[in-house]
Order: sequence, then structure tokens, then C-alpha cells
Amino acid sequence: MLHSAGVSTLLSVENLQTHFVTRGGVVRAVDDVSWDVEEGETVALVGESGCGKSVSALSIMRLVAGPAGRVVGGRVHFKGRDLLQLSEEEMRRVRGREIGMVFQEPMTSLNPVLSIGRQLTEGLEIHLGMTPGAARRRAVELLGMVGIPDSERRLTQYPHQFSGGMRQRMMIAMALACKPSLILADEPTTALDVTIQAQILELMKDLSRRFGVAMLIITHNLGVVARYADRVNVMYAGRIIERATARELYARPRHPYTLGLLRSVPRLDEPRRARLDPIEGQPPDLTRLPQGCAFTPRCAFSVARCSAEPPPLAPVADGGHVSACWESARLDRAAARSAAAS
Amino acid sequence: MTGDVPLLEVRNLVKHFHVGGGLFGGRAGIVRAVEGVSFEIRRGETLGLVGESGCGKTTVGRCLLQLERPTSGQVLFEGRELTTLGDEELRPIRRRVQVIFQDPYSSLNPRMTVGQILAEPLMVHGIVVDRERRAARVRELLSHVGLLPQHAHRYPHQLSGGQRQRVGIARALAVEPALIICDEPVSALDVSIQAQIINLLEDLQAGFGLTYLFVAHDLSVVRHISDRVAVMYLGRIVEITDRKSLYDVPRHPYTKALLSAVPIPDPALEAERERVVLGGEVPSPLNPPAGCAFHPRCPIAIDRCREALPELREITTGHRAACILA
Ligand SMILES: Nc1ncnc2c1ncn2[C@@H]1O[C@H](COP(=O)(O)OP(=O)(O)OP(=O)(O)O)[C@@H](O)[C@H]1O
Ligand SMILES: Nc1ncnc2c1ncn2[C@@H]1O[C@H](COP(=O)(O)OP(=O)(O)OP(=O)(O)O)[C@@H](O)[C@H]1O
Ligand code: SF4
Ligand SMILES: [Mg+2]
Ligand SMILES: [Mg+2]
Repeated sequence: MLHSAGVSTLLSVENLQTHFVTRGGVVRAVDDVSWDVEEGETVALVGESGCGKSVSALSIMRLVAGPAGRVVGGRVHFKGRDLLQLSEEEMRRVRGREIGMVFQEPMTSLNPVLSIGRQLTEGLEIHLGMTPGAARRRAVELLGMVGIPDSERRLTQYPHQFSGGMRQRMMIAMALACKPSLILADEPTTALDVTIQAQILELMKDLSRRFGVAMLIITHNLGVVARYADRVNVMYAGRIIERATARELYARPRHPYTLGLLRSVPRLDEPRRARLDPIEGQPPDLTRLPQGCAFTPRCAFSVARCSAEPPPLAPVADGGHVSACWESARLDRAAARSAAAS
Repeated sequence: MTGDVPLLEVRNLVKHFHVGGGLFGGRAGIVRAVEGVSFEIRRGETLGLVGESGCGKTTVGRCLLQLERPTSGQVLFEGRELTTLGDEELRPIRRRVQVIFQDPYSSLNPRMTVGQILAEPLMVHGIVVDRERRAARVRELLSHVGLLPQHAHRYPHQLSGGQRQRVGIARALAVEPALIICDEPVSALDVSIQAQIINLLEDLQAGFGLTYLFVAHDLSVVRHISDRVAVMYLGRIVEITDRKSLYDVPRHPYTKALLSAVPIPDPALEAERERVVLGGEVPSPLNPPAGCAFHPRCPIAIDRCREALPELREITTGHRAACILA
């Protein structure tokens, strides 16, 4: 159902549920979520702070911090296996070798006391059984690939001697080292300056094309993914509330939250508006989710049914466009009206 | 509007920090955080200040308030030179100039309720002495920033990020300032909340005749809120002009690169867009490049750029850029 025939699905997340037990109650961080990534495809997971993006990625990699946090349901199919059923030993081979990871703050995922060279060669020797000499040659090649000049000398340096942008390149080099088929990138450019952000995103896109690596990019910035994602999943309060190809989603959003996000940001390509159009209110508390649609208190389209019954994620247009909104048909008409007016 | 005297005027502001060489070793050096910055802000306007991390935006803001004493240069507020004033003389001026910070959480005292946080400046500056009237003023401030009277009893950790930023804004408003330095006031907030706060800042400006220095790195937000914009690179202003000229006809190659790096939330447009992706890294203010500091990353640099520092010159009326090729 999730994918079209002919293209093979690399990763398929089904009904994933991850909870945290806290003093304030159970946090339903990921609440019955399904999505997939096809081979070589770039998929985005977008949504505001606390909606469950990072926990989704951590759940897939089996890195959710227990015992408070636990994956309580679902399946994660990756190359014919359910990652949630693997032994810890098998899972270690998947991490780093078959699925690469890039995080927002590279400093926390790099080892400060190991040289850049050692951090790169370690994985190559352990996962691929390379000799130290071969691993070193490959490391030089990898640094060159991610645009770090003077790579021979750089290998002897330590993470703190690198700038933020260079550390992020280094993370990408490490993620690529064992030729994975998928890279999970959690806010890979959020901590970087706009000009460096553009460099890194161009680099990731280019590498993914050249080597056919699929990517899951997690971000809260709808602008960042417009250029790089093939498909976009929008999350709100632990659920996917809309999914479409990037072009379709930005041109014809069919969920009030997606529409609100797109309308609330000022855009350089449009005439300056006198006033911004914010989404009013606050994101919900995940321990006290309303019974119906979690967006109801902030939604301009809501009707009586919305607070009583949760809307299912249902098809709204061709090409796999789905939305979880009782009133999504009205959005289509609203969009058509505003397009006609402008 | 009071004649032609700008509310704030900054002349050749320089701020150097001496680092290293102390107990913990490391080579001694000078961080050239601000290297000769001049601008003015007129009453009721918003000047946007943009640039990449570490270019000196926050340091400029802190030097205006004399929280950081400038190495040299002048800061004139309502025509009065501040850099030579002592702490006591600065007190009434610090009431007229307020700051709103990026991280509302670390700037609010966690042990005080919102009501106490807002009442404090009213007491310290002797603005409202009577207790009852002070409570009334706190309720009024809360309503100005879109909070409810009952929020006065909450502690900062019991509020969302957006609500905390509203408290930070209310605290700045409490002392009836003329100028507010907004240092990345929405950068830490969610996209859906950013627009709420920007609208609020605009409403307050209109309602109370406020003047803003708006520091940010998001060029789309800066275009929305600013009347004029200054672009900084490595301690210097490289371009300054009115909003329309800056965004419609940017003259400095760095401004052009910044604008072209801003992602547009529209895949169809993005696919066709030409992009100047700058190579290289932002250089260190400990050791800025000679000549034009931007030359190592500049796509159009010529030999002369490596030698002489380009002056910030007027290209067209009111539009200044520091590039010999602009
Ligand atoms: N260790 C934990 N204990 C309790 N709750 C947690 C824990 N880790 C995450 N959560 C909660 O789970 C929810 C989802 O968190 P997650 O980190 O996935 O958000 P996110 O979408 O990545 O947000 P951001 O954009 O801020 O990174 C949040 O409400 C968060 O508070
Ligand atoms: N107290 C200090 N001692 C030494 N160096 C400092 C000090 N304060 C600032 N700096 C340095 O001065 C430069 C300018 O810093 P500043 O905080 O003004 O930059 P900024 O433009 O506000 O950056 P950001 O966008 O990251 O907030 C930086 O290189 C910074 O490391
Ligand atoms: S289901 Fe109702 S409340 Fe939820 S987004 Fe749709 S219209 Fe709004
Ligand atoms: Mg996250
Ligand atoms: Mg700053």
C-alpha cells in the first residue's frame, strides 16, 4: 500500500509506537506511525520540536534510552528483516555498516580523544575487515569526497580542531565509510550557518545520487527539504498527519497543520506581507493528547467531529498523497480559491 | 519624530578580546570581534543586523548597552555619548534601552514567578512604587504580550518556549524603553510560534513607538521586520541600506551569497534556482585575512582584494557596500 509497484522498498516502518514513562505520565512520543523509504530515495520527516522525529530515528536504530523509553509496538523492515527482532549483536552490524547516521551536533557523536583518522579507520577495520593500510587509504579518499582539503594532514587532527561545518562533513564521511544503503540524518545542518548549510546539503544530495544511497532527512525546516527531498512526511504530536511527494505537498497541502506551517514563514521569493499568518496556540502535551485530532485546538477548519474521533491517514489525491484530517476536502477548495485570487 | 537626531548613533565601534596566554596556556591572541562599525537608528524604525555565527552581532549589541566596554569608538544615544559614562550615570539610560535574548529560559530567574519577574524592574527603577498598582501594571503587561493574568503565578519552567519569550518581551516593556535590542528573539522557537512573536513585536512597536535593533541570521525574517538592514562579516559591516535595496539589488558578493543560500519552501522554484554555494569556511576573528576579509571565499575576488581593505562606500544614495567591485 505504501509504495508503488516496480520500485523496491528499502526500509518500511509499520505501526511503530514508542513510549516514555515519566512522572507526569506516559509520553506517546511515536504513536502508531508508518512510513517507508525506497532504494536511493530521499525522504524527509518534518515537524516542530517534540513531535517525535528523533525518537522515530532512534527507535529504528534501537537506540531509545531505556528503561523509561521503550518501543512498545510495530515493525521495522529493512532488507527483509525486522530490525526490532534482531539480537544486539546483529544490530551492531546494521548500525554504521548498513545504515549510516548523521546527527545535529557532531561534537556529541565524535570521540574527542581519538584522531579523525582513527575514528574513520576503526569502522572500516571492524566492519569491513580492512587492513590498517587499506583503511587509511580509504579514509583519505573519504575526506576528499566530502570536500575536506589536505586530507593526509587532517587525519592526524582531533575533532576540536575542526570547524562546525568540517565536523559535519566528517560525520558524513563516517556515515558513508562502509557504503551503507541508507543514511539517517537528524537535523544535519540545523546548527550550521546558512552558507555552510547550503554546502552540506548540496554535498549530501550529490553523494546520495552518485552512490545510490537512500536518505531520511529529519528537520523542522520546510524550506530545507524543499530542494532535497523526493517525498515528505509531516509529523504532529507523535503521528504522521500528511505525506506526499515534495512537489505535491508544497503545491497542494491537504492538512491544516501543513498549510499553517507553509503560510506562517516569510518567504524571500514572495512580496513582503504586511503581517505574518501564524498558527495560533501551542503544540499539545504528549501525555495528555486529546481524544480526537491532536491539532483541533489550533485548527481553523475544525468541526464537531474533530475533537471526538481521530481522523485516519487516508488518500486524498493520486501519487500516494495521504492526509489525516476530516476536513481535507475543504482544504483543497480553500487552496484553489487562494490560487485563483493571487 | 524629533528632528534629525537619530535615536542611536554608533561611530567606529571597535571591540577586541584578549584571549589565551594565561594559566591554561594556549597562544595569546586578540579576537577582533568588532572592527570599526558605524550605523544609526532613527526613532521608530527597525534596523536588521544579519551575518553568520561569530561575526560580532551580539558583541555590537552588548557594546551599545555598555555591558561590554568598547575598545574604541562612540555610542551616542539621544545625542549623548555613553562610552565615557560611569555605571551610575548609565542607570537611567539602561532603562531606556532594553534587550530581548535568544534563549528566554536562561535569561529568566527560575526561582521567581512570572509576576515577580515583571514586578522587579518596576521596583528597581522606582517606576510603580505602590504594591496594588504594581500588580495591576503586571496584569497589563501580561495582556500586552498575549498572556493571561493567571500566568503571573507560574514559574518559567511551567511555560512553553513561546510563552517564556513573551515574558522576556513583557519584562523589556515594563520600563517603557525607547530602544529594544532583539538578539535572535525567535531563533530558538518553533516555526509555528515564530510568526506569533514577530507579529507581537510589530504590534508593540506600532502601539508604543518602539525602535528596534533586530539581530538575526534568518534573512527571510529580517526582511519581514526591518526597515533597513546591515550585513556583517567578520566584525565589519559589509553592506547597509534600506530593506528594498538590500533584497532587490544586493551589491556585496557576500550578501548575494547569503541570499542565494536561503532555502525557498517550494520544490518547483528550488529546482530552477541558480545558487552561489560559497566554498571554504568562515575565517577566525583571531586571524582575519588581509585585505577584504571575504576574499578567500569570494567568487569574484581579484588580486587587489587581497591587498587593500575596501571602504564602506556609497554606491547609490543611502546604499553602502564594502567591495571594490560593487
Ligand atoms: N528520555 C525521554 N524521557 C521522556 N520523554 C522523552 C525522552 N526523550 C524524548 N522524549 C519526549 O518524546 C517526544 C519526542 O521527542 P523527539 O526528540 O523525538 O522530538 P523531535 O521531534 O526530534 O524534536 P526536536 O525538533 O526538538 O529535536 C518529546 O515530547 C520529548 O519530550
Ligand atoms: N568575552 C569574550 N571573550 C573572547 N572572545 C569573545 C567574547 N565574546 C565574544 N567573543 C568572540 O567574538 C566574536 C564575535 O562574537 P559574537 O557573539 O558577537 O558573534 P555573533 O555574531 O553574535 O554570533 P552568533 O550568531 O553565533 O550569536 C566571536 O569570535 C566570539 O568567539
Ligand atoms: S481533523 Fe479537524 S481539527 Fe484535525 S486538522 Fe482536520 S479539520 Fe482540523
Ligand atoms: Mg530531534
Ligand atoms: Mg549572537
